[in-house]
Amino acid sequence: MKLAVFVSDYRMTVDTLERLKPEKMGIILVQNGVYHASVKEKGKTSSILDSSADLFALKEDLETRGIDPASIDSKVKVVTFGDVVDLIFNDYEKTAWL
Amino acid sequence: MGKLTIGCFASLVGSTNLDFAVKLAGAALDKGHKVDLWVSGNGTMLSLQDQRAFKDYSYLEKPVKELMEKGLNVTACEACAEARGYHDSNTLEGVKRFSMDWYLGSTFDADRVLHIGGE
Amino acid sequence: MATTKLGFIVQRPGYKSENPKLALTHAIASQSVEIYLDDEDEVTCDVAFIGDGVLNCIKDQKAVENYQLNSTESHIKMALLCDLNIFVCKEDLDKYGLTENDIVLDANEMGGDLEVKVVPYEEITKMMEEMKHLLFF
Repeated sequence: MKLAVFVSDYRMTVDTLERLKPEKMGIILVQNGVYHASVKEKGKTSSILDSSADLFALKEDLETRGIDPASIDSKVKVVTFGDVVDLIFNDYEKTAWL
Repeated sequence: MGKLTIGCFASLVGSTNLDFAVKLAGAALDKGHKVDLWVSGNGTMLSLQDQRAFKDYSYLEKPVKELMEKGLNVTACEACAEARGYHDSNTLEGVKRFSMDWYLGSTFDADRVLHIGGE
Repeated sequence: MATTKLGFIVQRPGYKSENPKLALTHAIASQSVEIYLDDEDEVTCDVAFIGDGVLNCIKDQKAVENYQLNSTESHIKMALLCDLNIFVCKEDLDKYGLTENDIVLDANEMGGDLEVKVVPYEEITKMMEEMKHLLFF
């Protein structure tokens, strides 16, 4: 299974993400999920960045929150809505919004 | 080109999930995909006509109308809408209202489904 | 004839939020989806309760008595009556100290034959892999 997971919260109220073990996973950080790409708590980056999944963050949602897309963690690729459409159709088979 | 079915259950005002859904729908249409947008639960607020644009609240009537002109298919859950006092008479022109089976029917031939249902 | 399989994954408790109930009512709507499909095409729905979502399955819910609302329990029973596969994650039940005695297991009193399947999370992963689309609630 090739799964694109949309993470839309910074504080997750479910632990589903860490339990998903698809053959291929992409994590698309959107809305408040984009904080995972930039915020460090007590100097430590989000555990999501330790994932083996491909990581993306939505440019519009970074900018909306005052985060410079050029400043985020280098493991995360900045994408536009158009890029998200391409990811959904070309790189993954199923989606999950958490 | 493919078909994307988006389901969104979050309110127009009080969340930006619908804003996200509409922007994604627009991006998919621009790339030539067919898009169905199903709104259910609080998401049916999107189907209301005469939304007033304030800068402090999400306002999607204009972009949704523009996207419907480009082929976006918007359907609201009829029971969810009626439960909230949203009737045929105050539904945005072009938005359809059906029961929940419409959403499942839309997924039947969808290449991709994005269900925005958490909260 | 073609079948599209949908997996509904419920990961949150109900009542405060409408979404777990909407997962069930949408899944149950698969019983009438034929009106939108060609003859012999179908959409099937499996429902899995995981994480805090297993709390939806605790039996003896008194939502009608207290809030005049159909209970999630009654929706689970209706789903069983409609022959939907309902999975409940065993590890998550264990986490809360719940057993099969504590949850809705069947709709026998309504004439249903199908039972809730309490399964390891691994089985739910397999179900998710078999589905064409996933809907997380």
